[in-house]
Amino acid sequence: MTPQERRDAKTGYLALSPWMVGFVIFYAFPIIATIYFSFNEWTLAEPPIWVGLDNYARMFTRDPLFVSSLRATTLFVIISLPTKLVLGLMLALLLNLKIPGMNAFRTIFFIPAVISGVAVSLMWIWFLNPDTGVVNTLLSYFGIRGPLWFWDLHWALPSVAIMSIWKVGGAAIIYLAGLQNIPAQLYEAAEIDGASKWGRFWRITLPLLTPTLFFQLIIELIDAFKIFTEAYVITHGGPLKSTYFFLYYFYEEAFRNANMGYASALALFLLVVILSATVFVVRTSKGWVYYEN
Amino acid sequence: MKSAFFKNVLALANLFMLLLVSIGGAAAQDPVTLTWWTTSGRDSPEPAIRNVIAAFEAEHPNIKVDVSIMAEGAYNDLMSTAIAAGEGVPDLAWYWSNNWLPQALDLTDRLDNDPDISRDIFHTEYFNNWVVWNDMVIALPYDIGANFVMYNKDVFDDEGVAYPTQDWTPQDYIEIAKALRNEDKRRWGGDRPRGPFRALWRNMGATNPYSDDSTTVEGYINGPESVAAYTWLWDLVDSGATPTPADLEVLGTEGTGPVDLFIAGRLGMATLNPGSMVSTLEAGVNFGVVPEPRVPGNENWVHGWALRAGIWKNSEHPDEAWEFLKFWNGPPGQRILMEQGLGHFPPIPSLLAEYEYADTEWYQGFLNVLDATQTASWRKDHPCWRGAVIRGVRDAWDLIMLGEIERDEVQATLDAMVEPGQAALDECVPRLGG
Repeated sequence: MTPQERRDAKTGYLALSPWMVGFVIFYAFPIIATIYFSFNEWTLAEPPIWVGLDNYARMFTRDPLFVSSLRATTLFVIISLPTKLVLGLMLALLLNLKIPGMNAFRTIFFIPAVISGVAVSLMWIWFLNPDTGVVNTLLSYFGIRGPLWFWDLHWALPSVAIMSIWKVGGAAIIYLAGLQNIPAQLYEAAEIDGASKWGRFWRITLPLLTPTLFFQLIIELIDAFKIFTEAYVITHGGPLKSTYFFLYYFYEEAFRNANMGYASALALFLLVVILSATVFVVRTSKGWVYYEN
Repeated sequence: MKSAFFKNVLALANLFMLLLVSIGGAAAQDPVTLTWWTTSGRDSPEPAIRNVIAAFEAEHPNIKVDVSIMAEGAYNDLMSTAIAAGEGVPDLAWYWSNNWLPQALDLTDRLDNDPDISRDIFHTEYFNNWVVWNDMVIALPYDIGANFVMYNKDVFDDEGVAYPTQDWTPQDYIEIAKALRNEDKRRWGGDRPRGPFRALWRNMGATNPYSDDSTTVEGYINGPESVAAYTWLWDLVDSGATPTPADLEVLGTEGTGPVDLFIAGRLGMATLNPGSMVSTLEAGVNFGVVPEPRVPGNENWVHGWALRAGIWKNSEHPDEAWEFLKFWNGPPGQRILMEQGLGHFPPIPSLLAEYEYADTEWYQGFLNVLDATQTASWRKDHPCWRGAVIRGVRDAWDLIMLGEIERDEVQATLDAMVEPGQAALDECVPRLGG
């Protein structure tokens, strides 16, 4: 390494150091602590007691709530993830049209993405109120008796999914950025060659948008597994544990049941699940993500 | 030259000694500063908190109280973090989570040997159930509350229904609720209970979800008294006289009871608390207070609570902290808080008698409720009750609330809860005791 390179390296590390310090304190240390506590029984006020693999044994062999929460979370991911990806893309295509007032539309659709989860939850409680809510009132005009939504065994989870889809404007803005990066001359050339609108979307837009889709898939995947606020504010995991999401279970164990050790094991399990799903997506991306360079 | 040097050294040393003495003197006069974390609300508004501190500091010029008033959520986070870390806990704090209690100072000897204060001044039920832990006094009680049924007299008069009495039964509750139901006025008769095995369940004879020795769920969660209580719930839900959980979520007040619906006259009866009583009073609603209904012959139970203020066991100023604690939780501080915060109800019976509305019928009803046996008397020694076991058997509750089972399926539904309930108990007891 030349003296100049050493100086550059020093400058680089110096510039990185604030982030590195933050990473060690706020990420690395808590993760390592979580790993340690997952092998302990810990009620906060008393010192942790080493229990080895007992928390994991309980999780995999004798905890029905673990199964319930995993099932509810997986179902939510299966419903909300593809829906959000498709609707986000469709919305982005609409927001990419050149019509008057488009900036206003973009802002309107983006707003839900920046409202706090609790406020959104409270708003949806009103929207989906079975008796006086906007949705059921509208349905009643067509002679349809709307469901109980959050308070219906079969509709509670789809209701939460609908809520999360409502925030699709955030994803649409990312897609929009991707769409606007696609060179216009490709569309012009395709048009001259007589390609239909569908053909242009299928042959140009979608392939060139795959890096954005890839990014969005990973972000939405992680986000979907971390579903919590809606269960905490609206459904409290019910009815009949239909919305008893994994993170909500983790929260109850840690902060209501004073079971920090087991909660740490749950947190680690979720980390592994999310990591595995992400690695799987990344591995498969070579087959479907197209980079121009 | 040497002599001049030594003179200078001597002079400097003298100066240094003088400085030390003066610093020491100043230190002796410096007041001790106590740290105190608290929250504020309508039961203890910030000005009232500061007035209590000012009154205390005027009496104790050597002690200053550095108070941090924060939101409840932030308080819980900070306190949990400090407790877990074992450092940074303030000298004085609310120990409302049972998990924090091992970090509280044992106050038994101080309380029993202090001529200024005695445990006898406090309401016995609240004292024994809320600040005695493992036979130690770990805090002093402050601001008590309880659940009771409030009834809207105007609604009753409107529907021509007689007011409930002190000795009414669960069946009376259903009948009255049905009589008050008025679909034209979008009015319900009464609310639904918020969970099993609270005071109402006990008033129906279903005392515990598991055995006293915390070993057995079979015969308790699915015992005849429990089945009777859950069947009563089924009847109440089936009557159509109560708002659904969805209605309550939207129109009620989450967690603390549907006071908004009650005040609006859309709910004839509601199980509420002292804060609701004050809100209703301020809204000008004509109301009464009765205990939760009870099957004749059963003990009278109440779901009550008290906040508890304690001293951190590693406090560097336990004596000064005790001085403040007994001022704050004793008659001087509690009187200021009661007079300046209408929703503040001290745990001291002699002070409760001085309350602004002490002569009213509803307040006397409230005092009557306080004398019932507290559910906490069982719960405080059975910490697995809430976090583990009730969560494990929650499905039975949901099924009835959703109208998903028939009346004759209640027994079988509760039988099916034995296994998850037992599993939850077996997991929890080795960890939290009971």
